[in-house]
Amino acid sequence: MHVRVGDSILALALATGARSLFVVGTGKNVGKTVAMRAMYDACLAREILPALTSIGRDGEAVDAGDAQAKPRLFLRPGTIVATARDVLPRSPASEMLALSTLRTAAGTLVYARVRHAAHYELVGPPTASGIREAVATLGSLAPYVIVDGAIDRIAALAGGEDAIVVACGASASNTLDETVADVRALVARLCVPKLERGNDALRIEGALTPSIAAELIRAGERRSVVVADPTKIALAGHAALHALERLDLRCERPLNVVAVTVASIGRDRSFEPARLLRDVAAATGVPTFDVYAASAA
Amino acid sequence: MKRDEPLDTLSAQALDAAWLRAALAPASPYGDRIFAELAAFRPGEEVAASARARRIARIAQRFTPAQLDAAREVLRNVPDAASAIARASMGDTLGDANLLELQRFFDACERLDALAENDADLPRPASEAVRVCARALELGRAGRFGFYLADGFDDGLTRARAAFAQAQAEYDAVRGRAAAAVARALGREITANEFIVMRADLAGPLPAGVRVVREAPTYLLCELDADEASLGALARRDEAASAVAEAEEVVRARLTSSVRAHAAALDAATRAFGECDVFIAAARFTQLHRCSVAEIVADGPFAFEAGRFVPLELELAREGRSFTAIGMHLDDVAVLTGPNMGGKSVCLRTCGFVALCAAYGVPVPAERASVPLFDEIVWLGAGTDAEMGGLLSSFAREVVRLRDALARERVRRLVLLDEFARTTTPREGRALLVAVLGRLRALGARALAATHLDGVADAAGARHFAVRGLRGIPERPATDDLHAALVTLAEQMDYTIEEVTHDGARRSDAIALAALLGLDDALTARAYDVLDGAS
Repeated sequence: MHVRVGDSILALALATGARSLFVVGTGKNVGKTVAMRAMYDACLAREILPALTSIGRDGEAVDAGDAQAKPRLFLRPGTIVATARDVLPRSPASEMLALSTLRTAAGTLVYARVRHAAHYELVGPPTASGIREAVATLGSLAPYVIVDGAIDRIAALAGGEDAIVVACGASASNTLDETVADVRALVARLCVPKLERGNDALRIEGALTPSIAAELIRAGERRSVVVADPTKIALAGHAALHALERLDLRCERPLNVVAVTVASIGRDRSFEPARLLRDVAAATGVPTFDVYAASAA
Repeated sequence: MKRDEPLDTLSAQALDAAWLRAALAPASPYGDRIFAELAAFRPGEEVAASARARRIARIAQRFTPAQLDAAREVLRNVPDAASAIARASMGDTLGDANLLELQRFFDACERLDALAENDADLPRPASEAVRVCARALELGRAGRFGFYLADGFDDGLTRARAAFAQAQAEYDAVRGRAAAAVARALGREITANEFIVMRADLAGPLPAGVRVVREAPTYLLCELDADEASLGALARRDEAASAVAEAEEVVRARLTSSVRAHAAALDAATRAFGECDVFIAAARFTQLHRCSVAEIVADGPFAFEAGRFVPLELELAREGRSFTAIGMHLDDVAVLTGPNMGGKSVCLRTCGFVALCAAYGVPVPAERASVPLFDEIVWLGAGTDAEMGGLLSSFAREVVRLRDALARERVRRLVLLDEFARTTTPREGRALLVAVLGRLRALGARALAATHLDGVADAAGARHFAVRGLRGIPERPATDDLHAALVTLAEQMDYTIEEVTHDGARRSDAIALAALLGLDDALTARAYDVLDGAS
């Protein structure tokens, strides 16, 4: 059954009351930009003129790593962007709203309003504090903010009230099962629940590292192990799943994962779309969508 | 930056010169550049130093703290347009971000200019060149703070954009119709360039306008094909986009030429803006720390009343305590004695801090100050031991620093000796200190030596100042709380410094302090016994 993927995800995100949405991928080329574009189009269809930025670089014509063509962001007038001044298109001219001192990989950050439809590249601040500052500023300029996130920059999710969409795809893993396991671990980590009052708890200052987690498991820790927020769990893949199965992990400020997107077509391999969608949905327990196939599970 | 020239690294640390520089730091990059060029005033520059301090004091008096803080806020938020001006002067065509920088700079110039109106002391950055260039950019003002290369700049731009908008709309319509037709045929939305069609969903062949990119057993990866109509519309859109780009560059070139024509004057405006920033920062420092203008003397005593070492004053204020202001009068060399923790080192630091402020040409944290300018302000003794490596003993390090200081051929120096030679025998340490003071006097230095050694002032023929000391034996706090002990000590200590004529043995209150700080009663009682026996 076909669904309007962008609008469905946007509806889930808006229902949380969050005014910003981060798209976080399990790796490179897993369809983050395509998912972001679908949600951007959905915003426009609902007459919401959103603001966009990126943690690091996105929306470029070719992959900076391997020079292959990448999906681009074609933005409509009224859209606000926070991007590096060196990648802002010189023509057509944008309305320059503000200059920031935040640094990016391509110069300092600028805030601009799109005045004429054009392709834009988003290069945002690489640091968690920088992206939080940019999101706060964009939030003052637009009713809704969409951020192209990065798996290695999830610290930027801490301290925010954002809705989160996790993107996974064939490019990031060798097999379908591996893709499913990776996204399951990431979603499980990001969805660590809030500590309930009265629970006997062991609070971890800073990050829960693999060595701390291993020691707690060895010691047979029965109390709830509490981190400030899920971004402080410095575990991935099997290590994360192992720790989540054996420890009662909790957090003080939970995150808000609303959906998962799958991209069955990768650079070097592709998976059967319906099976990937079904397996990811079953493994994560989160509403799952295939933007390319316009389907949901 | 050049401002710490009269100080070596260790002396700068002892006097907290970094704090002073930070406290005087301007708010904008324009100010930073001017600040970095400033050098401390040297002997012979008394008139200039005095004039600068008086100018700062007048600004501090004329404007309220709120006015100066508001100006600092303007300065803090203004982007740096210096690079844009330089690039324009060298032939670059400026981009829109540069034009926004310039517009914001011009706005800030006008705001500072309004503040400085009818004031002869603050530089006026808004020159005629600033106004001409600001007018040239005015059409681009978008909202309160934004800039946009608006249609109004040029009729050609208006026409090009209208044509582009039409071409874009035509292309959107053609592509939209194609996508809608495919979406209808497939019964789904088409949002991405590439999309997947599951074979199971296909009742027949793919609809027209769809190209297969990849075939798999269960699905087809497809994309919308570009038909002749789409390609034609795309070509017309690209052509229109090129025309817009050309028209925009014409406007940018015209705006840049205005900046280029006034580059020298604009550069001068950035300097005036920076100077204004530096003066405002110094004036705010003057207000915040209740500073006054010192008389900068070419040849006279170094003297002040109610002097304060501001970094410590602020630290004490954070704990709800107050700093006891002190006075000092140095004709040449003098000796300072007093109990442990009685403020001898703070007195030395206050002297150095006041002298440093005067050297920087700013009002000083003292009253009725008469301050010479020094080529060199040297701190010797406690607080500088650890910085010279492990091969030398504490005493050796002091001697090496003293040797180096005496060897430098400076005309005028202020030397602050904090318990110099404290780590050798009292007899020889005293002898050495007396000799050092004699040499410093012969060199024409101003020097103050804090010491526990007896009889130094008499032997050196120097004036003798002393901290009054404990008013009584303080009660030890009920707990071992060190902070409580320090508060008790502060309450009991009279930090006042006064000149004394008798150079006999003075109390250091060391045993009472040791008891207050937690040494046990039996030990301190025994120490009193020994002291009584010795006396």
